[in-house]
Amino acid sequence: MLFTRSLATKVTKPSVIESAIILSRTPIITQQPSKLESTYCAYQRELERRLMWTFPQYYYFKRGTLAERKFLALQRGPVSKLPGVFYSKGVPDVRGNRERNAAQEIVLPLEQQSEDDPNESDSASSSHNINRRILPNSRITKADECGDLKSLERRLDKNLYLIVKSNKTGEWSFPSFLQNSKCKILHEIAESGLRELGGDKINTWTISTKPCKALVNGEKVTFFIKSHILAGKFEPKTEALEFAWVAKDELKEKVGDKYYEAIGFLLN
Amino acid sequence: MSSRKINKLLLLSPAKALGTNTAISTTSTTFIRGKRTSSKKKTSTLSPAAQRAVTQLSVLSASRKQPKLLKLCNEDLIKHQTIQTCWSEYQKSLREERANRLELQYEAMNEAMELLQEIAPDLYALANEGDESNASKKKRFPLEIRVPTDYPPSNIWYYDYKPEVSNDKK
Repeated sequence: MLFTRSLATKVTKPSVIESAIILSRTPIITQQPSKLESTYCAYQRELERRLMWTFPQYYYFKRGTLAERKFLALQRGPVSKLPGVFYSKGVPDVRGNRERNAAQEIVLPLEQQSEDDPNESDSASSSHNINRRILPNSRITKADECGDLKSLERRLDKNLYLIVKSNKTGEWSFPSFLQNSKCKILHEIAESGLRELGGDKINTWTISTKPCKALVNGEKVTFFIKSHILAGKFEPKTEALEFAWVAKDELKEKVGDKYYEAIGFLLN
Repeated sequence: MSSRKINKLLLLSPAKALGTNTAISTTSTTFIRGKRTSSKKKTSTLSPAAQRAVTQLSVLSASRKQPKLLKLCNEDLIKHQTIQTCWSEYQKSLREERANRLELQYEAMNEAMELLQEIAPDLYALANEGDESNASKKKRFPLEIRVPTDYPPSNIWYYDYKPEVSNDKK
């Protein structure tokens, strides 16, 4: 903590009020599970499959229907117990067409799909064809590949924060604006300042009118206001202004250690 | 053409069958699908309807559908317990980290507000008034915000946003 209560007793009160905006883009995709998480989930899934009750096939496929026949044709079925046979994986215990000592293997009949390659080039019909194969979009975008820090479409699974480079000191920080005659209230200073800096074609949602942090630097005190970007784009009016959308780990490298120590815990 | 003929035949045949059946139906008993009741060695004394219910219940019963219980050897049991302990420790560390961060955030907010009250009491009042001052303009959670999904949408970001022009300016 840079600011302590002892400041109240000091002779010089900070007199210059500045309002900074922590503008974040919320994650668009779910977080990539860590190795531990994915391994544990796989283990639990296997356990669940092993302890699963026999699949109630008669519930899903009506007797004597074509669907049932298709389903049954795909099933491999359990190995039955025969006298005088050695079973390497234990003597089978079959009940209701299911081997009770292992997870039941169920093969579901898939919808008929065209055997041609999915990347066929008739793009006009492909979007209307309801039988087309579903291909999810890549979790890694173009902006990730070219390392474009100015794009909002990077690091989709993380919170991105807007930082700008100061022209005077050359240091990266959250955009901050001094109190002026037009706006007085902290969150209004931050919001209007952001629009002055990066154009008004930006949709933001300020979380609270209350500041989440005060950073005292001699005469000057900076209040931080948290906000989300919902739509639009930050386009600086002056081309000289350098800005970047960075995740928390990248922000740590960009801003100074002292600054990060003061505001790091505010970020996700 | 040939398939049509077959269809006609098929359509006709049940009608024919019905015609022959009318003579038999007077003598035949009602057929019940279920356990054979007219067998020589009669084991159950249940009525056919009750027997059918028993058969259906036995199909639904749990014992026929349950797998064998897992019998882990000591080594496997220890492995399993280690995995579970590891997971709960990991969850605990995540939980503590989150609680710690929230506490720090709360402290920082509190200090900021106290400082604001000291430096600029008017700003402090305005900040506190904040969202609750105007009931009609009460702050709501934005509908535009997205819930994270497993894969990104085709159109990742909406760029051409135009700010609303207030009505009195028009």
